[in-house]
Amino acid sequence: MEQTLTSTAAEQWAIGLFVLAVFGLCTFMIVASWLLGGRSRGREKALPFESGILGTGAPRQKFSVKFYLVAMLFVIFDIEAVYLFAWAVSLPESGWIGFWAATLFILILLAGLLYDSRTGALDWAPQPRSPVDSTRT
Amino acid sequence: MPAPLPLLSLGPFALVCAAAVTVLLGIAWQRMHTVSALVTIVGLLGALVLQLALQTPDSAETPLLVFDGLSHFAALMVLGSSLVVALLSHTYLRGYTGPREEFYLLLLCAAAGALILVASQHLASLFFGLELLSMPLYGMLAYRFQSSHSLEAGLKYLILSAAGSAFLLFGMALLYAQTGALDFTGLASEMGPWALAGTGLMLVGLGFKLSIVPFHLWTPDVYQGGPVPATMLLASISKLAVFVVLLRLVLEVPTFRDEALSALLAGLAILTMIVGNLLALRQSDLKRLLGYSSIAHFGYLLVALVIGSRFAVETAGVYLITYLVATLTAFGVVTLLSSPCRTEEASNLEHYRGLFWRRPWLAAALTVAMLSLAGIPFTAGFIGKFYILALAVDAQRWWLVAAVIAGSAIGLYYYLRVMVALFLREAADASRAGRGGHWLNDTIVLVLALLVIVLGVWPAPAVDWLAGLNY
Repeated sequence: MEQTLTSTAAEQWAIGLFVLAVFGLCTFMIVASWLLGGRSRGREKALPFESGILGTGAPRQKFSVKFYLVAMLFVIFDIEAVYLFAWAVSLPESGWIGFWAATLFILILLAGLLYDSRTGALDWAPQPRSPVDSTRT
Repeated sequence: MPAPLPLLSLGPFALVCAAAVTVLLGIAWQRMHTVSALVTIVGLLGALVLQLALQTPDSAETPLLVFDGLSHFAALMVLGSSLVVALLSHTYLRGYTGPREEFYLLLLCAAAGALILVASQHLASLFFGLELLSMPLYGMLAYRFQSSHSLEAGLKYLILSAAGSAFLLFGMALLYAQTGALDFTGLASEMGPWALAGTGLMLVGLGFKLSIVPFHLWTPDVYQGGPVPATMLLASISKLAVFVVLLRLVLEVPTFRDEALSALLAGLAILTMIVGNLLALRQSDLKRLLGYSSIAHFGYLLVALVIGSRFAVETAGVYLITYLVATLTAFGVVTLLSSPCRTEEASNLEHYRGLFWRRPWLAAALTVAMLSLAGIPFTAGFIGKFYILALAVDAQRWWLVAAVIAGSAIGLYYYLRVMVALFLREAADASRAGRGGHWLNDTIVLVLALLVIVLGVWPAPAVDWLAGLNY
């Protein structure tokens, strides 16, 4: 253990130095500007700085949750397409087993897509309720 | 040409996944609560029967998964617990006004994740199984999103779990940097400072899921806020699966048995037992209390991890069975009293005051569960605790023995407090009389309670079965 520790220290000292230097530089910049910089107070100084223009309106606007839903669905299907790329480049090696596995994968995806569309996750407008939700038992 | 897949061993997993896709398509076609529940139950039951029929004497394996005695045992426990949760969820969700069918979908996905996790022998399948297990749990915990408690539980678990996963992934990266391998046998090849650091980080990540003491802060809030079936699933299969994979890591990867790390684990075990039990003392909410009690129980289980011998696996198996049966019984009673979930859940201890005079059978079941969790003789919990003590004494870890005894002594107080509340005469308030549910639900809980007693009085078959599993 001693031996490995020493050898690791010998191999990795540059990284350690770099990390120390990063922390040191950051600390130096903050502390030095805090010590040396001038300070002034006032009512205007307490306002948020928006490129010299006074801010208007509330920043906390509400977004429709649909945006997030669509973004999530996009990411899900996008990532799943990435898996298919990995299969596509190894098509000859993975053979028929790979083919059927990919088919199963796509079928499960299709089932998910069908579910999304039937539950109304893909409807942009909120008003027309999907047939599934209206026939709740 | 890759080796042929052990299709039969993958059967239960495939069945659970097929059930999940069927439920998904069923929802897309038409929402039918009972049919979704039935498909779930049939799928889980089929998987359970198949798993029972498998009984692999020679362990099959793929590069990612291994099907040996340990994973066979854990898969049976996972499927059995999921089945109980699915059965009870049907009653619970009957009064729910939002969409109800997705709960089963999430349940099946979580069960599939747990099945992968308990059989994984590769860091990739470990992470995949863990995420497949955790992701549905976020949704299940926040399922009653109209209630702020449930939403809080879901978000809290999501954020803290993500932090835990980040630690886990970084630990895996460090291990990979040291050994250049991701499978457990490959990880065993080399040891060094980076591997040790990675192992520590992985322990943090898995410790989050097991709610070992410095990482336990999410547990009570999440247990209290989530809908009872979701909490039940979290307390049973999630903890079981993560513990089993940690056990496998400790047994197969030497860095997890490093001396310093082992001492650290022993310290965490003692801390977990004592702190978990102490914090449970003053709880007035049954679900919170059970949350703290589960922290303490995993402290006891850590003893098996610290010692990590052949006998430790058997001990962990016995303890996990007894813990699962008692926990499922206790949460089953809470579910039946809370359902249908129209109003707030019956988790405050006030709800249980004088329960014996209103629902005597449920009160009896809860009493048995509490006795078992406290480790009183003639219940399953005693056998489990006896095994833990025997293991610790055999390994001459006297500090661990002392902590187990002290923890059990403290624990007795709050378990008895619940029991006393059940039998109090006063406050037989008609408003919370609770209407009788379907007889089938009461039967499930009573069968579980009976199992607790049978395991306590006649543990030989279960113990023999566990000893016979080849690991």
